[in-house]
Amino acid sequence: MSRVTRRLFWLIPLVLVPVPLLLNPYQQYVVNTALLYVPVGIGFNLVVGNLGLLAFSNVAYFGLGAYTSGVLMAHLGLPWWLTVIPAGMVGGVAGSIASIPALRGVRLFYLAIMTLAFGELMRWTYIRWEVLTGGSMGMAVPTASLFGWSLDTDRRRFYAFLAIVVLIVATTDRLLRSRFGRAFLAIKDNEIAAAAMGIPTDRYIVLAFAWGGAVVGLGGAMFAISVGHLSPISFDLTELIRQFAIIMVGGLGSLTGGIIGAVIITAAPQVFTSFPGFDELVFGLLIVLVILFLPRGLASLLARAHPAFVDRYYRD
Amino acid sequence: MTDAQLLQLRDVTVRFGGLVAVDSVSFSVNSGEICALIGPNGAGKTTLFNAVSGNVVADSGSILFRGEEIRQLTPHEISARGARRTFQNGGLFRDLTALENVLVGLHAQVASGFIGLLFGNRSAAAEAAATRRARELLELMGVGAMADQKAGALSGGQQRMVEIVRALATNPPLLLLDEPAVGLAPQARQQLAAIIRTLARERGIGILLIEHAIELVMSVADRVIVLNDGRKVADAPPEQVRADRAVLEAYLGHA
Amino acid sequence: MMLSLLPQLLVSGISSGMLYALIALSMTVVYRATTVVNFGHGDMVAAGAYAVFVFGLGFGFPFLVAMALAIAVLFLAGFATQRFLMQPIVAGPHLSLAMMALAVGYTIRGALRLEWGTETLNPSRPYPQDIYMFGNVVITTDDVVICGFVLLLLAALFLLLQMTPLGKVIQATFQSQRGAALVGINVPMFHALMWGGGAALGAIGGVMLSMITPLTPDLGQWTLVQGFAAMTLGGFGSLGGAVAGGILLGITEKLLGFYANTVFIEITGYLVPILVLLLRPQGLFGRRAIVRV
Repeated sequence: MSRVTRRLFWLIPLVLVPVPLLLNPYQQYVVNTALLYVPVGIGFNLVVGNLGLLAFSNVAYFGLGAYTSGVLMAHLGLPWWLTVIPAGMVGGVAGSIASIPALRGVRLFYLAIMTLAFGELMRWTYIRWEVLTGGSMGMAVPTASLFGWSLDTDRRRFYAFLAIVVLIVATTDRLLRSRFGRAFLAIKDNEIAAAAMGIPTDRYIVLAFAWGGAVVGLGGAMFAISVGHLSPISFDLTELIRQFAIIMVGGLGSLTGGIIGAVIITAAPQVFTSFPGFDELVFGLLIVLVILFLPRGLASLLARAHPAFVDRYYRD
Repeated sequence: MTDAQLLQLRDVTVRFGGLVAVDSVSFSVNSGEICALIGPNGAGKTTLFNAVSGNVVADSGSILFRGEEIRQLTPHEISARGARRTFQNGGLFRDLTALENVLVGLHAQVASGFIGLLFGNRSAAAEAAATRRARELLELMGVGAMADQKAGALSGGQQRMVEIVRALATNPPLLLLDEPAVGLAPQARQQLAAIIRTLARERGIGILLIEHAIELVMSVADRVIVLNDGRKVADAPPEQVRADRAVLEAYLGHA
Repeated sequence: MMLSLLPQLLVSGISSGMLYALIALSMTVVYRATTVVNFGHGDMVAAGAYAVFVFGLGFGFPFLVAMALAIAVLFLAGFATQRFLMQPIVAGPHLSLAMMALAVGYTIRGALRLEWGTETLNPSRPYPQDIYMFGNVVITTDDVVICGFVLLLLAALFLLLQMTPLGKVIQATFQSQRGAALVGINVPMFHALMWGGGAALGAIGGVMLSMITPLTPDLGQWTLVQGFAAMTLGGFGSLGGAVAGGILLGITEKLLGFYANTVFIEITGYLVPILVLLLRPQGLFGRRAIVRV
């Protein structure tokens, strides 16, 4: 992709800046949600799509990031901006922990089962550690502030989120386009050959898991102040299917796909009124259809439209 | 032990459960020397090869590479020290282009560190330099035209060439070739032989190869090491090995 | 240590273990046939539970008829899922297979929640509830019915596999698909039938669940976790291991729950896959080593 077209992508955040002026509070909330799900999709895609490992623990990082932020704010009185980095770090550490079975050679369905169990174990922790998290009833998240500027409206939160998400997208893009990103693809393609070429596969697996976890954790921190109230039910397997839908619909292994997926999966439920169970039904069907008819996601359609839209690390 | 002794195996033994796959094998490979490892099926050639590259851990003995013990090192550590290998099949990154395959081969030499990649332009410059070098290497080996095609889509001979380019990308002092001629037509085999000879004579690279194609071995090897039932049965220049009784028995016995 | 309660714990452990065994067995049948783990299996079990409710209390059929119908419906569901959703992508990446199964499960769960999300269906037993005392050990009719039924089912399955020609065919195809194809067995049809069979067995487990626990749409989630735990404990891919793993899981839950801490009743199912796959990946009776790089 040429330098010029890459620079054009920086226009997108600029174009987004005046958008809040056109939105009512509810619409703004939806946009915020789409925005904070972008890093969630990106982090998930990095491990599952680029590195190619079946790690089903993404919701764990999301929840841990959210609760870290919420707990630090509620119990230690920290302002939100000071909890963001800890949330990311907790996500990163959780990702590193989840990579342990992968380092020991566990792959495929076994890895999926273990990481799924890990995610559920975390959810059980939110429920049981009532003193900290408020248990099943959940906890209220105090109003956020950014260096003293109160983030009490969705519009203000939008700008805070936008800054964070742009940073995440830019750095992750650089990572994927570097030799590290290429090493991830090599490991995904042929792990033994990758090692034979001098790539320290263990280290890179941990890197991918940690980065993915950290980025999703940051999404969690944004989630915490966007919804204002955390409860364990937000981080159950239904949430996992939503996150799967994001990367499947968007396109595995594509950063752009992660962004598109986040926007579509957040926007879609707004189009129809949501009864309990409707989300699951629709996301389930959507994933079935995507796997059958558009297995490489919407990113593959984009790629066919114009090569400029293709991330270099995305494989059709 | 002289400086030229690139690779030295002493009493290397590899066991799988109760089975002794490699039994106390010793030999050495010098810089600029081409050593062929031959023997009937099941003789232990692949296991021995894998022990050198680190894909299998030898149970006892010593494997010295440039004087350093590598028996218990991992494959990526051994590769980083300059002993690079190809695979008999399935060695390429099929979904990456030929160029990207070579870039992965160059991985250690692309000058972009982790912190540097987040800020500044060093990453882009390093990538560009690596890409240029990778294209040159592919061009040199006659596969420059397919640099941007997916490796999985190339012909067998082209794939073989790309894999060799990839292994050579970092100028390794020792090259381990796992049955490089398998599936190649006679003309391609001759090309391969010429390349192997050039690498050893002109670039001083030490080469250890497993091969079943006897004519290739005879025309290219400085020394032939014959394995049978895990044990070394001969270690001599090709003409001598050709006439060796023990070698004949090994092959006939397994016929 | 109150050892006097040990017999009681063992009894209830075996009782719930039998149920886990059935669920794990149903998942293993699918796995042995196609080497695919059905991540939607838990939701199929839940669907079986709801199905017997619909046919029984809804349509008014007698219990056994309702159960037969539920089994038939789930057999069809399993068959159709494999035939139309899994078979087309069987050569694709493992992620797609896992995701497809998971997505089917979620679709089922969503449908269940749409219909019954706001209510909890109470357990309905086709037999009078009673208890029997043996010394100071209490055995409920639930325990008797479940253990008895599962044992009968296991015996029937064992006889089927060992004594009938069909059983021999099934065993042979489990062991070597290529060999089976060579002797003329329609392997794709076999796959679909086994998914149907696994779903049917799972449905029986669902029927049992409907007799003893209140039903919510999230039952599938719990069932999946327990099934995985039992399978991993017994050894992935081993039919006997699935049964042994299930019973062992049930006993372990009860023992840890009483002697260590009540939390273990909830989290043993989560901890087992993690610990077993890290420490002894082949479980108790697993044959081959799991996929390792």
